[in-house]
Amino acid sequence: MISGATTLFSWTLRMDSKSIMPHVVRAGFAFLILIAIGTTLGDVFGVNRAGLEFFKAICFLNFLLITVSGISYFVSALTEEKDSGTFALLQLAGMTPLAITLGKSTSRLVTSLMLLVIQLPFTLLSITLGGILWQQVIAAYLALAAWMILVANLALLCSAKCATSGRAAALCGTVLLLYFALPPICSGFLAAVPPATMNPTLSRILAEVPALFSVISINDRLSDILQIGGDYSLATTQFWASCGLGGFFFTVSTVMLNYWTRPSENGGTESSGALRRWSLERTWKLPIAWKEFHFYTGGRSFFLTKLFGGFILLAGFYALQQTETGDVHLTLKGDLGWNAFLTFVAILSVELVLYASGCLFHELRQSTQSTLAMAPHTPTRILLEKTLGCLIAVAPSLILIGITSIIGYQGIRRNMELLTVDQTEPSDLIITYILLMSLSCHIAALLSLYTRWAALPLTALFTFTGFFCLAAPIYLIGPLTRMFARSQHIPMVSTFSWLVTAFWVWLLVLLPLQIWIRDRWIAVTRQ
Amino acid sequence: MVEISRDTIPAILVSDLSHSFRGHQALSHVSFCVMPQTIHGFVGPNGAGKTTTLKVICTLLRPSYGEAQVFGHNVRNETLLVRKRIGFMPDHFSMYRQMTVYEYLDFFGAAYGLTLEQRDRVIGDVLTLTDMDGRKDDLISGLSRGMQQRVSLARVLVHDPDLLLLDEPASGLDPRARIELMEILRELRRMGKTIFISSHILSELSELCDSVTIIDRGQIKFSGPMDVLLEAPEERPSWNLRLAGSMPDVLAKLQTLEGVESVTEPEFTTGRDFMIQLKEGISGNDFLRTLLVLDLPIQGFSQQRRHLNQAFMDLTTRGVRT
Repeated sequence: MISGATTLFSWTLRMDSKSIMPHVVRAGFAFLILIAIGTTLGDVFGVNRAGLEFFKAICFLNFLLITVSGISYFVSALTEEKDSGTFALLQLAGMTPLAITLGKSTSRLVTSLMLLVIQLPFTLLSITLGGILWQQVIAAYLALAAWMILVANLALLCSAKCATSGRAAALCGTVLLLYFALPPICSGFLAAVPPATMNPTLSRILAEVPALFSVISINDRLSDILQIGGDYSLATTQFWASCGLGGFFFTVSTVMLNYWTRPSENGGTESSGALRRWSLERTWKLPIAWKEFHFYTGGRSFFLTKLFGGFILLAGFYALQQTETGDVHLTLKGDLGWNAFLTFVAILSVELVLYASGCLFHELRQSTQSTLAMAPHTPTRILLEKTLGCLIAVAPSLILIGITSIIGYQGIRRNMELLTVDQTEPSDLIITYILLMSLSCHIAALLSLYTRWAALPLTALFTFTGFFCLAAPIYLIGPLTRMFARSQHIPMVSTFSWLVTAFWVWLLVLLPLQIWIRDRWIAVTRQ
Repeated sequence: MVEISRDTIPAILVSDLSHSFRGHQALSHVSFCVMPQTIHGFVGPNGAGKTTTLKVICTLLRPSYGEAQVFGHNVRNETLLVRKRIGFMPDHFSMYRQMTVYEYLDFFGAAYGLTLEQRDRVIGDVLTLTDMDGRKDDLISGLSRGMQQRVSLARVLVHDPDLLLLDEPASGLDPRARIELMEILRELRRMGKTIFISSHILSELSELCDSVTIIDRGQIKFSGPMDVLLEAPEERPSWNLRLAGSMPDVLAKLQTLEGVESVTEPEFTTGRDFMIQLKEGISGNDFLRTLLVLDLPIQGFSQQRRHLNQAFMDLTTRGVRT
């Protein structure tokens, strides 16, 4: 067992060190830290505790990357073998479940922990910038490492349970979403429902949930570390609880691996005929869009599930409003409208980037790219149809954003105005978001044609950089165009400004990426 | 080489095709021709350039040099026209395993621009042809390898192409599935399809194909009718004689016949089969006339032919291409 595990472990580490992408990720991360240092140096004379602000940004970025890695990098530890049909070969080679989980998952964890280690020398600089102690830096990194252990092992559990990487990513994403959403939902529910009408046991359980989650909450722990006079001890409950829970997930994965991966008797899963007939329709005139919608994004049933879930979430916001104000309104007042709007925008963003990073990779994983390319369509049309299929799938989020924009208009408008700076308008925020999301999706799609599972973390990195590179010019083009339009008495100034901004960003940023994606797609269809 | 009639447009015409990638010469001045409504075998050792040639013909790869035409359409410039007339079945399983058989075929039918009515009709036909109509609602992931191969073939046929390009269609199939696949291919030829088949199973190719191309290290070693390839390469061919039963002293009697240079009895035979080498200038007919005088119970008399295995070994070089 030891020999098998070490062989697999060293092989995976060797593959990782030979592959260019992990090094690119690490170099990219170091580059981002340098950018952050540069930005902070610019502010150092004007801001108190510049080191603390700098370190907060780095911690947030780390948290984001670790979470995204959970649903992309860690989750494929075992499913990549299942996807390529080589998992049975590992079992035939006499490798025990422990050897497999240890060899396949631990190497990834070690590689990722290295990402934290390489940052340490840079981030110690924050101490010299002021506002933070070395104990805080170490404590924060330990908290992040514990979070990584938890996420990596949760992803391993999903990877052991699910047959494909897609399903494992969906399961892991759902669990992480619940992890973040469950405490506020429970608190909101408790606040909304009168205590007298609720079952005492249920009430007690609901009250315990936020407290239970706060034990392993990375957000709470980081907030605690990064405040003056907080708890700087190195190994706290969060650290031990996260490591313990990670160990539990690892143990369950190992114990259940053989059971979950036993060959099925009928050779494949068969969905109910009636459900299939209901959820599937005959191929559309745009067949690739049909395929993407039904077989990649989950199709009609998942579309309706998302819509239904979105309305429940919206109902939750109404319930919260009723609890807070005691009145029943058709509109969401104040910050609630803005929060609901942001929630659905966040869901849309996650959906878009997930679909973008997976829709081309899905073909590569199934080796269907050359078969698809043989259809008498140009590569551009194939890519556009794929995009259309994914865009249809995000319609529920768009519908809910639309509804929230109407019912929470006042709060959204007010918060947007607070975010605008001189000469800019709230509409500039919207166009900036649209263009940045377009950039993210393009980067994710492109990277998915180069790297197996690192597309999502790399996209998060590049978008973070892209935000600084792109948002400022977008913010400049908008006001400049409006000034020009007003001076020339051009009607519909805002629309004109949107179009000009979108045109320039498309021409200079998105079009080159689109050409790159198309060329890369053609290249992979020939492999 | 195959003679081309002035009126017939070849199904495939490859002229002076060369292709290299990363400094590696995959194809070097490859030329051959495949006539319509024939089955053409394409054989060569691993790494000989078979899949590269197939990818050029099916428009997935642009050749570095030379031309390839499919029914007169240039693969370089008339990509979409070529794709409409060909069906390519790659050597690996590349299927949407989460679809059912019917959904899979319906998707590709729609991708090739067939209407709903056309799809219903054509899918029914190809499912019948490939004997998969009883499994049309099964998920592809639940099918055996042989059945997946049939679905793959059905997919290739769904837009009714004139030319089928099959890369190792029989690999991994059990003997029964292989024989059934060959039957389907014969049926397709009867239906007027041209089939270009790359395979390593030479015994089946020799029975199936009308013509063959042998490629080795990116160069064509032979291209032409199968009969020409299988003819003995010697100037004076050997002849096979088979008798209805074994008889005493036949070998000695045959050796004394006029015009006979040598007679040998192949190993592991029961005294009924003989291999005869005739003297120069003596034809098979001359010998047969002499042979009849002996009043032997002759069951068969035929010119010795090479087996495709032997031809392949003679024409290709030992070792793996570097």
